[in-house]
Amino acid sequence: MKRGGVIWSWFWMILGILYFFLPLLATFIFSMKAELGHLGFKAYLNVFSDPKFQTSFPASVIWAILTIIVGILLFVPTAYLVRLRLPQARSAIELITLVPFVVPAIVYVFGLVGTYSHPPLLIVDSPALLVAGYTVLSMPYMYRAIDTGLRAIDVRTLTEAAQSLGAGWGTILFRVILPNIRISILSGAFLSFAIVMGEYTLAQYLAKPAFAPYIALLIQNKAYEPAAATIISFALIWACMGIIQVVGGGEQGQVAGGH
Amino acid sequence: MTHLSLSKISKEYSGTKVVQDFNLEVEKGEFISFLGPSGCGKTTTLRMVAGFEIPTDGKITIDGADITNNAPNQRNVGMIFQAYALFPNMTVAQNIGFGLRIHKESEAAIKERVTEMLSLIHLENKAASYPYQLSGGQQQRVALARALANRPQVLLLDEPLSALDAKIRVSLRSEIRAIQKKLGITAIFVTHDQEEALSISDRIVVMYEGKIEQVGTPFEIYNFPQTQFVANFVGTLNTANAEVVDPAKGLVSMDGVQFEAAQGTAARNKGDKVKIAIRPERFSFASEQKKANVFDCTIENITFLGSVVRIQVMIGKTKFNMDTFNNPFLELPKIGDKDQVTCSREAVLVLDE
Repeated sequence: MKRGGVIWSWFWMILGILYFFLPLLATFIFSMKAELGHLGFKAYLNVFSDPKFQTSFPASVIWAILTIIVGILLFVPTAYLVRLRLPQARSAIELITLVPFVVPAIVYVFGLVGTYSHPPLLIVDSPALLVAGYTVLSMPYMYRAIDTGLRAIDVRTLTEAAQSLGAGWGTILFRVILPNIRISILSGAFLSFAIVMGEYTLAQYLAKPAFAPYIALLIQNKAYEPAAATIISFALIWACMGIIQVVGGGEQGQVAGGH
Repeated sequence: MTHLSLSKISKEYSGTKVVQDFNLEVEKGEFISFLGPSGCGKTTTLRMVAGFEIPTDGKITIDGADITNNAPNQRNVGMIFQAYALFPNMTVAQNIGFGLRIHKESEAAIKERVTEMLSLIHLENKAASYPYQLSGGQQQRVALARALANRPQVLLLDEPLSALDAKIRVSLRSEIRAIQKKLGITAIFVTHDQEEALSISDRIVVMYEGKIEQVGTPFEIYNFPQTQFVANFVGTLNTANAEVVDPAKGLVSMDGVQFEAAQGTAARNKGDKVKIAIRPERFSFASEQKKANVFDCTIENITFLGSVVRIQVMIGKTKFNMDTFNNPFLELPKIGDKDQVTCSREAVLVLDE
């Protein structure tokens, strides 16, 4: 590459980094100014000691874990069967997985409330509805991560090899397919975790404790604590991304299994 | 007694028949090859035996038990795939022991059997390796050991050597055959490579467009093809249109050049249109005076093929290939030379046009 091209590449990259990190840096510095005169972590301590944080944060973690479990149970067999038995349905399924990108969460939540707030499906107060909603919202990430993992292995041949050795569907799924797409599942799981931790609309309108509505509440009442909570949220999501990178990069060769 | 029987098997996809009226009886310990071009139905037939496809019609039995509609995991049939299909998350030992664990054998029994299988394929030192750490040939040997560990009644091999390079292919096919003979297991081998089928099989089933063209030993298939397809598909063959001149004497005429055939004309009438077929290696230069099948020819082309030299000669108005062993101390004719070639009566195959 010519010298001029390299300089421009660096220029755009630095511009991009500044665009992304400057607001974060400003938020972080602002979150440290809770005490007059010097920088400190008082806002963070306030957040961690707030009973509402102590309720909403673990609640969001539980919603996220449940969403991941439901997502795995729902999307792994679906993606597997679509690849194995219904390849012609793949484009339709992919289109469906994009729906959460197209339908705003507010429209979706009013649809849920309208559908499940009267008999025979009166489950609007159940946490199950919130988890189901989160599962749909995280579907594009979870399904596509799993599908990408399945694409990397020869699903049909591995299935047939296991069948010819006497394996039933459960064994094939849990001992042959799942272990070979575990990195993809892990990626989908952490992305789902990040989505749930940052999702505001569903929890707010279904009136369930969650971390994002807690941050929104802080913004209305406090100055420095919302900034601290935002940085905590970012740190959590970056930790998830970091784990995906570390785990995904480390065992790629073994999972790919090709030669 | 018949070990594996396929009786009137057919398979249709959306009204298209891919296998039609397939009948085959296989003895215990036999090595059968399904040979044919792509799309001839050989893999579909194998997959019906494995249980991955259910026949539209017909019956498949092993030792008299009807398995036609059994699920693949209820057949005790071992399968080896072109793509090896080793489980990437398992070591070689775990791959080999997979089927035994499914059948809930004790850990001691599994360990013993895995060791036995590793010794059979000469990969004792690779037990802890993952598939991606092995070469293609080693992976396929592990796949063979894994399929055999379960003691299957029938071993199915779906073009298992196609993904390997030529040298490994030859050595592995000998190894597969040796192991099959040692264990006395019935095996069905799918291939489109005639040399592979001829070298490894007890019997070959030649298939074309979903039907069996001929079943026979490699010797029969090569030397006495019963149809024009088999004659053309297996080995190199010279063919030419001809007409029966004297059915009793086996005389046929190709553009006025008379060929004498040992068989194939008796059931035909004078004037019938036929095809004559002669293998290139059945021709030789006419060194002594013979009464029949000596033809004047012109040397058209000479191709050096290593151990064999292929000489193209013009007999009448038709070009024929003649193969002769390469001998550096014998002088070859030159292009344009006039000469005489000959072949035996038995070498002239008379087939339907």
